[in-house]
Amino acid sequence: MSLNNLRDLYQQVILERYKKPRNRGKTNPVDRYQKGHNPSCGDTIELTLKLDGDSDRIEDVKFEGEGCAIAMASVDLMAEALKGRTTAEALEMVQKFQAMMRGEAEFPQELRKLNVMQGVAQFPVRIKCANLSWHTLKAALELQQGVKPAGFVSNE
Amino acid sequence: MTIAQERTLASKVRADFPILHQQVHGHPLVYLDNAASSQKPKAVLEALQHYYQTDNANVHRGVHTLSSRATDAYEGARDKVAAFVNAATREQIVYTRNASEAINLVAYSWGMNQLQPGDEIMLSVMEHHSNLIPWQFVAQRTGAVLKFVELTDTQEFDLDHFRSLISDKTKLVSVVHVSNTLGCINPIEEITRIAHQYGARVLIDACQSVPHMPIDVQAIDCDWLVASGHKMCAPTGIGFLYGKLDLLRSMPPFLGGGEMIADVFLDHSTYADLPHKFEAGTPAIAEAIGLGAAVDYLTNIGMDKIHAYEEELTLYLFDQLNQIPEVKTYGPQPNATASNRAALASFTTGAVHPHDLSTILDQAGIAIRAGHHCTQPLHRYLNAQSTARASLYFYNTREEIDAFIVSLKEAIEFFGSIFG
Ligand SMILES: Cc1ncc(COP(=O)(O)O)c(C=O)c1O
Repeated sequence: MSLNNLRDLYQQVILERYKKPRNRGKTNPVDRYQKGHNPSCGDTIELTLKLDGDSDRIEDVKFEGEGCAIAMASVDLMAEALKGRTTAEALEMVQKFQAMMRGEAEFPQELRKLNVMQGVAQFPVRIKCANLSWHTLKAALELQQGVKPAGFVSNE
Repeated sequence: MTIAQERTLASKVRADFPILHQQVHGHPLVYLDNAASSQKPKAVLEALQHYYQTDNANVHRGVHTLSSRATDAYEGARDKVAAFVNAATREQIVYTRNASEAINLVAYSWGMNQLQPGDEIMLSVMEHHSNLIPWQFVAQRTGAVLKFVELTDTQEFDLDHFRSLISDKTKLVSVVHVSNTLGCINPIEEITRIAHQYGARVLIDACQSVPHMPIDVQAIDCDWLVASGHKMCAPTGIGFLYGKLDLLRSMPPFLGGGEMIADVFLDHSTYADLPHKFEAGTPAIAEAIGLGAAVDYLTNIGMDKIHAYEEELTLYLFDQLNQIPEVKTYGPQPNATASNRAALASFTTGAVHPHDLSTILDQAGIAIRAGHHCTQPLHRYLNAQSTARASLYFYNTREEIDAFIVSLKEAIEFFGSIFG
């Protein structure tokens, strides 16, 4: 088996995050909530955000859900990387992540942890797994406060 | 059947499938996703080529030679399908795009018109979405109620539960013959007999049985039976509905258009006889001819032989899977001769998510399915978010099962090494 190829995809960090995610749960309070779901594979995440209304900063991000190693590691790493960012910065990160999945960008030094997902770009059918969390985040951020989210968003 | 004979069947036919002889990621392709769609033998590919090169024209419309050849080939294929499932007459075979369309035809033409508020439609929790959503439509529109037969401890169709649910209110029983996820073979003759005692109609979703075993619609005595060509060596875009003659005659057309009419006036029309009443518009001519060629191909091998060989493969597959402690399979374990289940295994492996497993196996050239296999309610019932599925056909070999098992073990080890 081409284990080398697979080690590019399944970096140690990814497998560790899959096994022991650090950002599972629900924020308190829940300022934003959005469910992301890819029906064909069943991956589901429920993302919650705690926002600082004055500074427009993301104070905390948590997730619940189930999915493959790629989807779960991606959401866990994303949650961590978002803390302290403004919503505008977070939306830029969404763009950057999606560009990285096309092999067109990578994150700068202070966000380099996210670059472990780069290997996914070599596995086109799995890109949607990595993107699900970012896609869901975008929907959560674009939602007006207090507006009930649509059932779920999907990037299939 | 001995191993030597077994090898003969797969090795005899493999040369007929050009697609199987390729490398994927540097490994020989091992195609174990047959429940999703089968590969096509040269005989079918050549039938398509021949049709387009020599006979291509619209059917039932022209007086010219090509049109008449195309019509003969298209209708000839219908005879083959009728004989293949032992329908009494050719009029009882209606071409559709696939099994889903065949079920929708019955749902719209019969269900929407015949069912009343309070009538009951009996399905099972293991149904493919194709045999669920159309009935949800019917229930929403007519006020009919859906009832679901659950599973036994061995994850098979619970006939006792079925007996306890059925009543004079039951107007339709629509169940899968062989579950595409559990692999169990349901007692459809018994189900049909019981349903008929209550005056209910019976539809059989035979997508996973027609390609793999002899099917006799008269022996089953079902009212309708549906299947898809692409799972039985035929092209995509063609499937069929079998129905009892009186019933099909009494059902109004599903789609309107050319081909399905007798006389057309500006404000009303009369319809063609069976089966054309249900075949509006230019049909999938080449695909239907391809289905005929597939039926010839399968018949030449012999459905008994195919089924017997697949039973051997089933025993071997489960024997191997059962030796891996991390693997949990769904559906019944095969009995001594594997007569109770199909040659497919849905499973989970604990640490390795089915999607990750499928990616890892793909790197070794092995194609399996990961997900819910269009049976989301069943997965919910089984408390499994998703499963991996290896599904076999008569061109698969023991050596391919071995390759699959080796890679499966490697994947479990690869994840296990991190999980420790
Ligand atoms: C049991 C069963 N029913 C129905 C279907 C639907 O077949 P199709 O998508 O060809 O209509 C399938 C195949 O996916 C199946 O396995």
